[in-house]
Amino acid sequence: MRLVIGASHAIERRIGLFLTILLLAAAPLVYGQSYFLHIVSLAMISAIAALGMQLVLGFAGQLSLGQAAFFGIGAYTSALLTKTLGVPFPIAFLAAGIIAAISSLALAPITRLTGVYLGVATLGFTIIIHLVLLNEEWLTGGSFGILSIPWPNIGPYVLKGDRAIYYLCLVVMVATYVGISRIVASRFGRALRAIMLDEEAARASGINVTLYKSKCFVIAALVTGFAGSLFAGHARYLNPNDFTFWKSIEILIMVTVGGLGSLPGAVLGAFVVVLLPEYLRALDQWRLVIYGALLIVLMGTGTGGIVGLIALTARWFTEGVALSSRRIASRTRRAQL
Amino acid sequence: MTGAQLIELIVGGIAIGAIYGLIGLGFSMIIRATGIFHFAQGEVMMLGAMFGLSTERLLPLPFPALLAVGMIGGGVAAIVIELVVYRTLRLRRVPLMNIVIATIGMSILLQNGSLQVWGSEPMVYPKLFATAVYHVGPATLSPQSVWIVVLGIALVVLLQAFLKFTRTGLALQAAAQDSETAQLMGINLTRCTALTFGLAGAMAGAAGVLLGSLFFASFDMGFLPGIKAFVAATLGGLGSIGGALLGGIVFGLIETFSARWLSSGYRDAVGMGMLIVILLAFPQGLIGLFKRSR
Repeated sequence: MRLVIGASHAIERRIGLFLTILLLAAAPLVYGQSYFLHIVSLAMISAIAALGMQLVLGFAGQLSLGQAAFFGIGAYTSALLTKTLGVPFPIAFLAAGIIAAISSLALAPITRLTGVYLGVATLGFTIIIHLVLLNEEWLTGGSFGILSIPWPNIGPYVLKGDRAIYYLCLVVMVATYVGISRIVASRFGRALRAIMLDEEAARASGINVTLYKSKCFVIAALVTGFAGSLFAGHARYLNPNDFTFWKSIEILIMVTVGGLGSLPGAVLGAFVVVLLPEYLRALDQWRLVIYGALLIVLMGTGTGGIVGLIALTARWFTEGVALSSRRIASRTRRAQL
Repeated sequence: MTGAQLIELIVGGIAIGAIYGLIGLGFSMIIRATGIFHFAQGEVMMLGAMFGLSTERLLPLPFPALLAVGMIGGGVAAIVIELVVYRTLRLRRVPLMNIVIATIGMSILLQNGSLQVWGSEPMVYPKLFATAVYHVGPATLSPQSVWIVVLGIALVVLLQAFLKFTRTGLALQAAAQDSETAQLMGINLTRCTALTFGLAGAMAGAAGVLLGSLFFASFDMGFLPGIKAFVAATLGGLGSIGGALLGGIVFGLIETFSARWLSSGYRDAVGMGMLIVILLAFPQGLIGLFKRSR
């Protein structure tokens, strides 16, 4: 896993972020088709979950396959609070994040595990939570799920319709992006990267590895719980089958395809994974075959997914063909050694 | 519950456990030799089941031949995957975590590739041992379960014998214990790792044919049993072949009885809960167990 730290490109990044927000904010005004808004909202919700996963995998180097569980816990918490108890959406939204975060605390002992074992244990957690959602009919409605969840409301304003939900998702996504980018740039973020590079060395440098890993999981779970709450308000129908371990793997695909260790990558990856099959129906059948192959290739080449590809292209343009061809030559020479 | 039912449950549990054991020992061998957690192990098992079934549809061979086809199919598939994919990744010196994520990719690829080839409908194996039922006291046992137990144990014994008494088997063990020293002693590491994957794949392929004959074969039959097989292997002690079988049988019994007595809806949760508990109760236990076996 490569580090993509672009401190020197801070201004370009800020401009890029600003333009992206502008584009996404203007999109419904230009092209307000309801279904389009619906699936872009879904992409943004997935992007929020992917941002959480990026913190865990891309910055701390921890393989978590438990994200679907936090997503599900958030979604069901929010749906149950707003529907059965009539709690206002903002409170349900916060509760969704907090309860997901608390449930990740139950996983805190697991964070002692390293590498793959952490991944397998969190996978087990996802499977258990899915079964709870499926079997506890008194609470979750079992395999029928929860129907007609009320539209989200903020105070007296009911966010009814796809456009309102779209802007709600956009605001939360941008807030999540900014929040996680602040975390990544902080001392805490540097400690996470140290853990990713060498857990033992990080421990030796005085980083409380288990504590930092747990905190990282809690933050990711909080964010993913928020995403779940938005999902409940967006789909207005929940079914346990949306929260199987395949959801965790889908989030993993988003992050790796977009580019490990890059926050724009997480967002881009989520957009690609959610939107591409909508517009390339022919691809639908082979979608997962392609993602599987892509996962293998990306892990093998160590390129940072779509973002890495964009960065490579950008460098190619800025530095000129001659320089980059020399670099490719030297790289192939290195590969032969 | 009557005594007859109890015996039937026990035999059923042992049968499913033997299948977990066959898949799990492959996990164990691969982790010991390469450190890779092979997420696609369950999919190799699925391929074995599919190869066996397709062969049966083309020409109706007797069961032992189908089992052999499944084993060869699974073994060859695993060797090809290792040589083409994982070996390439190792040669590029990517971190272990990348290889593990690549095995998740392989799992997705195999599953959905099979979906394209064999379709999404679960396929039923022909009844292998038509109507004859064994009577043990008051209990009636399906010959399927009994044969799965017998064949499963026989395969593990054969594998163990191969590893203990043949030069190649000893070379595999040496390479798994200390690859660098083994290489200095003239052992071809590439071939050893490929063979390890091949044996793991063959055992998984056999498990696939057995599991397919017990229930049915479908493209998504592999993932969950694969993870459960890992639970079995960890339970028995990661790194040991006999341990994997023992862990498989114990786990199969626990799963069967908890599904019967507690709740059938939470059947899969039992294994996952056990997985988390085992991993937590021995946080270093995996490595600890595997060091003790060295």
